[in-house]
Order: sequence, then structure tokens, then C-alpha cells
Amino acid sequence: MSAPILRALALIGLAVLLAVPLFVAGAYFKFLLILVFIYSIVAIGLNILVGYAGQFSLGHAALMAVGAYGSALISISLESIPVLAATGANVWIGMVAGSLAAGIAGTALAFPALRLKGPYLAMVTVAFGWMTWKVLLNWTSLTGGDLGVASIPSMRIGSKTFDIDAYYYFAGGAVAGAFLLQRNLARSDFGRKLRAIKHSEIAAASVGVDVHREKVVVFVLSAVFAGAGGALFAHIENFINPDDFQFYDSVFFLLAVLFGGAGTLIGPLIGAAFLTIAPEILQDAEHYRLIIFGVIILATLYALPNGVAGALLARLRREQEPRPSPRRAASGAPSGSRAPALAAVAQRPILTASGLAKAFGGVRALADVSLALEAGKVHALIGPNGAGKTTLVNILSGYYRPDDGHVAIDGRRIDLHSLHNAAQLGVVRTFQNIRLFGDMTAREHVMVGAELGARASMLDALFNTPRRRREQARREAIADELLALVGLAAHADLAGSTLAYGHRRLLEIARALAASPRALLMDEPAAGLVAGEIEALSTLILQLREQGLAIVLVEHHMDLVMQVSDVVTVLDYGQVIAHGEPAAVQRDPAVIEAYLGGADLRSFTFA
Amino acid sequence: MRCILIGFATIAAAAAAMTAVPAAAQDTVKIGFAGPMTGPVSAFGHEIERGMDMAVEAINAKGGVRGRKLEVVIRDDEFDPVKTVTAYRELIERQNVVAFVGSANSASMLAVTPLLNDQYKVPTICVHTDATAIIHNQAEASGRDNYLFRLGMFGSGQADFLVDSMVKKFGLTKIGLLTWSAGYGQIGRKELTRRLAELGLKPVADETFETGDTDMTAQLLKMKDAGAQVIMHYGTIKEAVAIFQTRQKLGDPMIPFVSSWGIAVPALWKAAGDLAEGTIDSNVVTTDGPQPPERQAIVEAYHKKYNREFDDPASFFDAYDAVMLFAIAMDKAGFEPPAIRAALEQIPSYRGAGLVVDHPVFTKERHEGYSLEDMLLGRWTNGKFLRVGYDAEGPFVTPSEGIKRHVDPTTFGLK
Amino acid sequence: MVFALQIILNGVATGAIYALVAVGYSLTFTGMRVLNFGLGMWVMLGGMLTYTLYVLWGLNIALAAPIVIVALTGLGVICERLTVRPFLKAGSEAWVMATLAVGLLFIDLAELIWGRDPLRVPGYLGQAVVRFGAFALYPQQILIVACTIAVFFGLDFFYYRTLPGRAFRAVAHDPEVAELMGIDARRFAALSYGAACGLGGFAGLMVAPVTLVDPQMGTTLGLKAFVVPILAGLAAPRGILVCGLAYGVLEGLVSGYLFSGVRDILACVLMILILYFRPEGLFGAPSVERI
Repeated sequence: MSAPILRALALIGLAVLLAVPLFVAGAYFKFLLILVFIYSIVAIGLNILVGYAGQFSLGHAALMAVGAYGSALISISLESIPVLAATGANVWIGMVAGSLAAGIAGTALAFPALRLKGPYLAMVTVAFGWMTWKVLLNWTSLTGGDLGVASIPSMRIGSKTFDIDAYYYFAGGAVAGAFLLQRNLARSDFGRKLRAIKHSEIAAASVGVDVHREKVVVFVLSAVFAGAGGALFAHIENFINPDDFQFYDSVFFLLAVLFGGAGTLIGPLIGAAFLTIAPEILQDAEHYRLIIFGVIILATLYALPNGVAGALLARLRREQEPRPSPRRAASGAPSGSRAPALAAVAQRPILTASGLAKAFGGVRALADVSLALEAGKVHALIGPNGAGKTTLVNILSGYYRPDDGHVAIDGRRIDLHSLHNAAQLGVVRTFQNIRLFGDMTAREHVMVGAELGARASMLDALFNTPRRRREQARREAIADELLALVGLAAHADLAGSTLAYGHRRLLEIARALAASPRALLMDEPAAGLVAGEIEALSTLILQLREQGLAIVLVEHHMDLVMQVSDVVTVLDYGQVIAHGEPAAVQRDPAVIEAYLGGADLRSFTFA
Repeated sequence: MRCILIGFATIAAAAAAMTAVPAAAQDTVKIGFAGPMTGPVSAFGHEIERGMDMAVEAINAKGGVRGRKLEVVIRDDEFDPVKTVTAYRELIERQNVVAFVGSANSASMLAVTPLLNDQYKVPTICVHTDATAIIHNQAEASGRDNYLFRLGMFGSGQADFLVDSMVKKFGLTKIGLLTWSAGYGQIGRKELTRRLAELGLKPVADETFETGDTDMTAQLLKMKDAGAQVIMHYGTIKEAVAIFQTRQKLGDPMIPFVSSWGIAVPALWKAAGDLAEGTIDSNVVTTDGPQPPERQAIVEAYHKKYNREFDDPASFFDAYDAVMLFAIAMDKAGFEPPAIRAALEQIPSYRGAGLVVDHPVFTKERHEGYSLEDMLLGRWTNGKFLRVGYDAEGPFVTPSEGIKRHVDPTTFGLK
Repeated sequence: MVFALQIILNGVATGAIYALVAVGYSLTFTGMRVLNFGLGMWVMLGGMLTYTLYVLWGLNIALAAPIVIVALTGLGVICERLTVRPFLKAGSEAWVMATLAVGLLFIDLAELIWGRDPLRVPGYLGQAVVRFGAFALYPQQILIVACTIAVFFGLDFFYYRTLPGRAFRAVAHDPEVAELMGIDARRFAALSYGAACGLGGFAGLMVAPVTLVDPQMGTTLGLKAFVVPILAGLAAPRGILVCGLAYGVLEGLVSGYLFSGVRDILACVLMILILYFRPEGLFGAPSVERI
């Protein structure tokens, strides 16, 4: 199955779909396709949430219900206004209102829910779905309870009521529109940001992505899609009741996304189409229909873990060379433009820690640790394992709050509440265990890192505005420049997960630099590198120092420490036991004892 | 771009499969049913199917209608109104069904009613669905042809019957309502309250319960405190059994229990056993106790053909009668659906399996086949659902031919 | 007063059921960081199997109970192997769908095997109501409370006083390190999943005389019992017992003093609030992710 054949088949398919109303007389099949279109819209919304952003929802049927009931009830109540009823605008207004109502419901759910991960998130969405269903069932005065809402007005333009063909084209257009929005999103920086969040929330936060906010935003977007699908559903069915929006309907949508292929563009449509049409074809199998169906689903999930579209695309990708993207060579602009002019404040410490203390249960990780970082200086942090180095870095970068003491930036005391808060204030870090964004390309990694200067919003991304394209150009320029700086220019289009270990480290650094930090905290960057790579790292660190960055280097490789550091602080059991120039610290007996544990080995020096 | 293309290729393939023209129309006349053939209430779906099958068999054995045989076409709607609508469209457009026995879900019927009246115009006789708005729909209200008919219990009538029986025949005025929170129960609650008000009464307690509830202590204690003489229930078996258990646990005096037809099926006794003794239900037919000979013949044929007990005699007989009535109408007026509809309103009398009337079954104004005179109360006695009759001494049941036992109105026990 | 006390008494009995089912969620989660969304189905299977063994075949309940537990534990281990582990290994979310799909399949199979009608299972200690003063309980309800407390104490003892129990906790805490210590983490994970299914089946066995058994009985019960580990904390078995009982009482009081419709909505709101303000549960320990 090669690309040109698929292309031809697909064009035929598209033509067939467009022509269906022309050569199919009855309503049954068209109606079935309309259902597929509607379910696809909901599934696309869910795909953005689950496939791209890596979140979870088993409550999307409830969001669809909010859209359906909202639209139905509002259009019915607006019918009493003559001008609206005459033009049919009551339905259009209702549909918009219903979709927005679903967005509001999504916001209410997302705020508490998205602080949670994995199973907890799943449970909250299930609870929300269940609660909504109960409300629909019990609030009979509003929703009609179990008997639902009947006589929902059909869509109209003026006096022309939509017939089945009109609905068909409208629904088809709606799903095409949803598809395009999804595609725009996927190809934008917002989409890259979502994928980054999916792969590693912590890494994304470290370069300034406000993870929680973005998760809420994408959840709300997903809810609006669901609500729009629900609104369309209400006016096409003309009758809704809580039976249509139960837990198993949420399962249906999630299954459609997973079966079709989460994170692919076409996956939700394939999933929705299969799950709606297959049972119809299996009608004759009666008793065993649901069992056959369930088995098919399980088998597909087992054999095609990335869904149908995922598997197809993987096959296609293997048959094609990666398309070389047209890139201009790194412009060679002076990298000095990256760092803020620091001459005026060169002497004043950028980042200070005073009297930091941190305990975990009974373990005292840090006690009375103080530190001052100056621009253009490399400050090494060494000590035996368990000394508290990473804990200190975590506090300085906002991941932990200290139990005692405080952190100051530019002399002002500040309470860093999160990684991204620290990044906004210019403090960015890399990680002891490299955290990359999966199979995103190296260039994409660094583009995500440039989040802090972002000027385009999600809406720009959805509608592919000029501002979105300018933003992408900005980020690409930054990415190319930084990749050249760290020496990865030739690997820009390779997936991060395929890079050699040493290159991954460099990529993490490049990504961190994209956030325009004033202070860069590096946690054991030389771990796992070979001699030549450590050389390159050393050169890079010195270059960054020239540019005026304040650098904290947590390290075990003493040669590297000696080569690049201006100041060394030694921690042991959470306390500072030595501080000063590298050579002096190296000879300090307390330091030697901490590392090697005995005066007998005083003659042993670090080579 | 690639993505779009793959996707459309898939859909196109499915489309080709679906638009394949169905086999050329055979000479049979098709009557359709879309109902719950799988899932928790599938027992009713299958019982209706059996009723239709046996009726069609009997008709075809006599040579069919106007020389053509009848055929039953079944679809599973999984008790989901969206699937019901899809099924009806498919049955009408692709299977050329000319008449329907209605789905077993009120919500489903409410969803298809506008389609049947405004667009497709195919007559449907509902069985086993309660909601008033199915029959008293917009078509009826605006004087157009109403394609919906009903055999069997219906919400408003049943409420009238239950309340009237308790108040007028059993002499009880302090009635406690205990209804299911789902639609079926809430329709009941509304109708029961209405009828009580029409008789100048109010329920002394008005409690509800949820699906799957296992403990009814709170509700029953409140009934006791309010001094209810009888608990009037609208719900289905599972929760009813919980009510019986809780009632037994709370001890004497046990408030008697009367219910809608939701639990007037053999499965109740299977599930509750002795706990159900003394419960009184409304229904339209029972196969226990002495039977008229025609019905007895059908009952025996059922046992012989299917080798099983009834899951729901009412559904079976109503479906059977529905098909018979369609046959009578078709015999008179031909096979065009609008003509069948018109002829249904012209049947002067009918002696059937469930329904036995000497007046027109349906008229232009009345599309309910049963009226209050055709309903009955039954008392669960030793595993049998015995019809309650009345004489000068009050209500009685007939456990077997010739034996009469009177029922105590205050306890529903046998005297 | 009598009203309130009788309701509370019943609430404790109902709550014991929730706690018994809820411990299955906790077991699976602590063992594998996986939520068995299909747990309700295992409860249903336990009930159905009990019907066959105890009612149809007339086995003594003391014999039927271990058979049910062992059979469903074994079936659970097989299901874990076939439907959860492959997806966990692939790192995809599909295990959620798999547990759900398996649950749906079970319902269909149960319908085919046992039919759709609710079936009655007589109480194991007889049907005679136990009365004390103005209050009354079925012996089965008392049995459930007793068994639930026994199960919790048993689990507690197992986890904290026995070697295999400590191994379980080690695996739950950090599977990689546990493997380094010589514990076959995967086997333990599978066993904890299977044990959770077996416990679910035991819950079904206990509950069968109180509710009726039918293929749908697991769905609502499974959903409702969800709330309990949320309130208590998925990894806090002692808290689950307390919260389960409290939840049963709360349900009864709400039904008694408000009306039943509002009851489940309140439960959901409570669940969402707890997840927001204290995701680790009332009895859980907040966990800090180390980076």
C-alpha cells in the first residue's frame, strides 16, 4: 500500500462522500453518515486532549450533553421571540450558546481535574460524567428527566428547514472544519507545546511553559468541540434524553480515538466511523454482536497499539525519506544577542539563596545553605551522593519550597512557586536524568524552549493567522541558532529519542537556552559523556559564561569542575563544608574526608 | 494531506458496502420490530418477538393475508433512542416494512413518533410502553392522521386504575407513593398524584428510590411514620425486591404493597420468592388461574414451541394481538401503510389472545386499545399471579377452579 | 432518633459492602499503579458463580467461598497477562479500554450463561431477621460487616507483618529496586491484580443475598465503590474501611433527610472536591515526585 495508491483511493472516497446525497435516495444511510460526522467532531476534540496533550477524559459524553441540552433548551425558549423564530436564528444562537456552555462546564471540570495525573484524572472525569447524567435525570423540571426533550427545532435559514441533504452537507462541512482546526493546531507551536507537555510536563515547565494553564485551555477547547457535536446532535435528532450521554458513551469516544489512532489527524474519524458503522453491518449476528465487537476492539488494541491510523502512518513513514525541510543556514548572527546586557549589574549577584533548609520526613536534605550566583561566573556545586545538591537545585529552580530561608533574585526576595515561575524570572535548569520530548525533532525541542517570548495564542494557532506564522519563524530562527551553538545543527531534523546520549545532553542545554535564562542550573551534565564530549561541553560552558550567564554546575567530574569553575561550593549531608576557588577547595581536608572518608588518604589528590 | 486521504479511503470503502442495493423485494409483507434484544431488558424484546412470530405463523398457516405471507423483521436497538431511530429508518427504507410493533422503550418511541407521523407514515402499534405523549402526540393534537396506536398498559390509565381500585374497591385512602427515579417511575408518580387529587386525596408520603438501591429503610420508615395504609409502587423488579426485604426487616405491621405492571412478571417470584406473597399488581392479562379456552390454547402452543415459561405474558399477548390486528386491517384495506392505518380505526370488535372487546378496538379519537374495564388487578399467591375479582364481601382470588379466597384489604392477606 | 439510628445501622451495613469492593481498587493500584475500571464485573462474576455453586449445585458456602476466590484470582491473573500487561509495556493508555472491554465482555457472557433475570441467593446464615430493641438487621448484613473487618485486618497483617506482604509493598513503592532485591516484580504485580479480582469476587459472594445477582449488578456498585478510595486515599487500606462505612452512613442519611436523587450527585461533588483539595485522600500521605 503505497502513498500514491492511497491518494487515489482517498480522492475517490472524497468524491463519493460528496456525491452521496445525489445518488442515494433514502435517509437511512445519510443519517448514519451524519451520526459519524457528529461523533467525529467530538472525537476530534477528545483527540486533541488525549492524543496531543496526553491527558485523559472519560467524561466527554457529559460535555456533549451540556452542548446538546444547552442548545435544545435555549433554542426552544428563544422560539417565543418572533424575529428569532422567523429567521431560524434561535437555533443558531442556541447552538453557539450550547457549545460555549460546554466550554464553561469544561473549565469548571478542568481546573480541579488537571492538577491530577493518571488514574486520579480518570476518576474525576468519570465522576463528572456520572454527576452530569444524574443531574439530567433528576432535574426533571429543566431537562424533562428520563423522557428527555422532544420537539427540538430543526436548523433553518429563514423559512427553509434543513432537510436530510442539507444536514448532511452541513455536518460534513462541520467535521471538515473541525479537522482543519485540528490540523492547524497540530502544526503550530501551540501544538508542539501540547506534545511537549504530553512527553514531559516537568521539562516543559522548566522552560517556562505554564503547564496547568495550557492543560486547562486545551481541555476547554476539547469541551467546546464536544458541545458543538452535541448541539448538532440535538437539532438533527430532534429528541434527546439522558440515555444518549452515559458512561459508556464516553467510553465510546475514547475508544474511537484510541482505536483510530490517538495523536494522528485522521484517527478520530476512522475510529468514529468504524464504531458507528460496524455494529450496523453486524446487525444480523444478534446475540453475539456485542461480543464479536468487543473482541474486534481488543484484538485491534492489542495488535495496533497506536491505532489504525498510527499503524498506517508508521508503514508509510518507513517507505519515505524524511522530507528535508528547507532551512536557511544559521545566519551566524552574534550569539551575544541572546543574553541580556549585563555589564551594569555584573557585580551584583543575580540569584542568592540564604539559609535554605529542607527536610523530607525525617531526612534533613539541606541545612542552612547559602549561595550567591553572579552573572558571567560558573559556580560549581559538588559533594558526595545524597549531599543535597539536586535538592538545592530543585529549590533554586522553584520545584521545591524551602522549609526555611529564602531565595532572592536581583536582591529581591521571591517565593518561587513552580518551575515555570522560576523560568519566567530567568532561572532555567537541566536535569540529572535527561528529560526530552520523545520523538519530537531536535529543532522542535528548542522551539518549545522559546515559549517565554511567545506572542501567538491558541486562537492564532487554530486559525493559522499571520501572527502564528511569524511566531513559528521566530522560534525556528532561535532554534537554528542555538542548535548551531551546541553543535547539533546537522541533527536538527532528527527525533530527539534517536540521538546519541551525548547529543541528548546538548539538546537539553540548547532547549534550556531558548528560554533566555539569566541563570542556568545544570545538574550533572557530564554524566555518561565520553572524554571528547566532555571537552565540547567544557567549551560550551565557557562560551556561555562569556555571554554573561550565571551558571550553576552540579558535577562529579572533577576535571571539568576544575576547568570551568570560578567558584566551588561543597555540600555534605546538606551543609556547606567548603566554599571558594577550585584549587583551594580541592586541597581542603574536610572535602577530601567527605569524599573519601579518611585522613590516611590525604595524599590522594584529584588528577 | 496524507491523513485526509487515508481516512476518506476507509470511509469510501464502508460507503460502498452500505449502499449496496438490498435484495430484490420478495413477495412477503414485512412487519418490523426494533427493540432491546440485548442488554438488561432484552427479555421483553424477545418476548415481543415470540408474540409476533407465533401470530405470523398462525396467519401464514391459514394462507397469509390476501394470498401473501407475512414476515417479521427484527432489529436490536439496545434500548437506545438514537439506535431506534436508525433502525426504523433502515427498516422502512431498505426492508420496506409496512407496519411496526413499537419498541419497548418510551424514550425510543418518543424519538420515532415525529418521524412516523410526519415523514414516513407507517402505522405502529406500541406494546409495553407507558408514556402518554407517544399516542397523544402532535399529529393528534393538530387533527392530522395519527400513526401511533397502543395495546397494553399506559401511564395515565394505569394510574387511574390503580388509584380507583385502592380507593373505591379496597377502601384505602392513606396512600404512600414509592417511585423509581427513572422516567417510568416519574411518569407514574405524576399520574398517580393527579388521580389522587381528582378524588380529593393527597399521598401521605411521596418517596423515591434510585436504580440499584438495596436499602429502603429511610423511605419505609417515613411511610410508617406517615401512617400509610398501602405503598403504591412504580418501578421494576430489582428494587422491588429490596423494598420487600427492607419491609420484612422492619417487621410487623408490614404495610401492604400495590404496584404498577412493571413487576407483574414471573421473574418477580423467581427473584423474591415468598417475600412477594400478597403483592398486588395491575396488568392486562395473566396466564395463571382459570383461562378462557382460546388463550389456553395459545399458552399451550407457546410451551410446546419454545419449551419455556413466559417472561412477560402481557408483552407476548399484546404483540400477538398487534400482528393479528394488522392482519385484519391489511385484509380489509391492502398493504399500503396509510390504508392499513385507516383500517385499524375500523375494526368493530376483536376476540384475541390478550384483548377481548365487543366494541371498536381503535377509533379516530381513541388509539388506546385497552381501557380501564380491560385492566385487572392480580395478587401474587404462592407463585401465581391470580386475578382479583370482587363480590359482595370484597376482593377475592381463585387459586384453582371453584375455590374462592377473600383478600383482607388492610393486609392483602388471604382470609 | 430511632429513625436516625436505624438508618445509620443500615448505612454501616451498606458501607461495609462499598469498603469490601473498594479494597479491590486499592490492591490493584498499589500493586500496579493501574485502576481496574472493570472491577464491578468481577463482583458480578463472584455473585454469579456463587449462585451456581451455592444455589444450583448446593455446595456448602464454606466450600463455595474459597472456590470462588481462587477461581476468580486465577482468571484475574490470566486477564492481567492478556489484557493489561501488553498495554502497560507499550506505555499506552489502552489498558483503560482493555479493562473496560473485558468488563463488557464479561457482562455479555454472563447474560448468555445465566440469563438476564435477577437471581436470588439465600442468606448464608438464614433469612431470619435479627432484632434488638427497635432495630433490625438481616444476618447477612452482620456477616458482611464482620467479614469486611476481617478482610481489612487480614490485609493489614499481611502487608505489615509477613514477608510476602512486605514484598508487595516494596514492589508498589519501587518495582525496579524491588527487582534488584530479588523480588520478581512482574509476578507480584500480576498476583496483586489477580488478588484484587479475587477479592472483588468475594465481595460479590458476600453481597449476593442482599442485592439480587444479575449481569448488571456490578456496574453501579463498581462506580459507587470508586468514591471510597478517593475519599480515603488509594493506598490507605485502613482509611478505606473507615471511609467506606462512613460513606454508607452518609448515603442513608441523605436519602433519609433529603431525597434519594440528590444522594449520588453529592457523592460526585464530594469526590471532585477531595480530589482537588487533597488528592492523596483523607488518610493518604502526600507524595512528592523526585526529579
